[in-house]
Amino acid sequence: MAAPGHGTSNNIGDKIIEHVANSDVMIHLELFGVDLSITKHVIMLWIAAGLLVSAALFATRRYRKEDRHVPSGFSNAFEYVVDFVRTGILIPTVGKNHVLKWGPLVMSFFFLILTMNFLGLMPFFNYINHGHGGTTATGNINVTAALALITFFAIIMAGILEHGFFKHWKNLVPGGLPKAVYIILIPIEILSMFVRPFALTMRLAANMTAGHIAMLAIFAPIFLLHNAYVGVASVALNVGITFLEIIVSIVQAYVFTLLSSVFIGQSIHPHH
Amino acid sequence: MENLLRFDTGLMIWTWITFIAVLVILGAKAWKPMIKALENRENFIRESLEEAEEARKEADKIAIEYEAMVAKARQEAQNIVAAGKETAELMKADILNEAQEKSAGILKQAEVQIVAERDKAIAEIRNQIVDISLAAAGKIISKSLTLEDNERLIDDALKDYGKN
Repeated sequence: MAAPGHGTSNNIGDKIIEHVANSDVMIHLELFGVDLSITKHVIMLWIAAGLLVSAALFATRRYRKEDRHVPSGFSNAFEYVVDFVRTGILIPTVGKNHVLKWGPLVMSFFFLILTMNFLGLMPFFNYINHGHGGTTATGNINVTAALALITFFAIIMAGILEHGFFKHWKNLVPGGLPKAVYIILIPIEILSMFVRPFALTMRLAANMTAGHIAMLAIFAPIFLLHNAYVGVASVALNVGITFLEIIVSIVQAYVFTLLSSVFIGQSIHPHH
Repeated sequence: MENLLRFDTGLMIWTWITFIAVLVILGAKAWKPMIKALENRENFIRESLEEAEEARKEADKIAIEYEAMVAKARQEAQNIVAAGKETAELMKADILNEAQEKSAGILKQAEVQIVAERDKAIAEIRNQIVDISLAAAGKIISKSLTLEDNERLIDDALKDYGKN
């Protein structure tokens, strides 16, 4: 495989991988022996976080000043999405009494992932790192793994805060079953504890990357065949796929957030 | 493919740093104020609706009470008018009776008086007749009659008068 970042390979497959992968190190940074180098996806993360924080602070400026604010315009639109997360995700999963405690985490998940997903759709971010690849940070498995690890610890924290340290681990398996069942059940529950964040990681990263791979694959025949009709068809198809990707971006942010919230809710209210 | 699945601790740490920064800043400045505002608004709307419902019920109750009061007042007024009418009728009957009794008394008294006056007049006339008769008779027969004749004549005359 050609070294990414040089763009010398004529192999379409390598080009595609090069496009969706993270960039080479742009600024080398090492702290306490840990490599903290700045790459394209770190910059994408910062852009997303910066945009989100600015927009959210702007939208909620009045809420911090007025006791009973009646929103309009952008605030109103923002509030609509916040209320969607609150009533559509938080209340049914963690319950009304825990919304204030877990709301900030769940809302940060939703809005940050959504912002990053949308950034991936903007075709100009490939200019970071000299024209290579416009995929966003949520297309990188390390980013989604880091987010899923936060979910993993949040699930444990939620259970411990609600039921205490020992009760939380006991809650993982249902009580009052024959002892033989536990021999099977305990490993399954422990496994599922790790499978959940792993599934979150793969689902988000794969979905965000897949769209780019599909679009690049559809563009590829233009360069292979050098035919104008193929070009028109490819572009038309990709316009459609772009619309599909908008939906995928929203759905994947929703799915990650919803599942995280569901798992946290299960920890708070064990239904065993 | 190794590029896609490359393990990158630095990126993970940057993700945590970025995410926690977003969580802390927006948690304090955006999410919590917004959740509180939404909950407050929900409660405010619910309370307002409940209050409105209660006020409506109260108003209904008052309206019913008021209607009952008006009906009662109307009934009382009708009773008062009816009682007034009855009293007036009784008074009218009393007054009429009294008037009739009074007029009857006056009539009777008048009758008695008339009878008395008539008797008195008759007696007076009788006396005058006797006197006149006596004078006339005396003049006519003063020389021819004795005292006994006079007495006898007077008695006869009186007897005749009494028969009449």
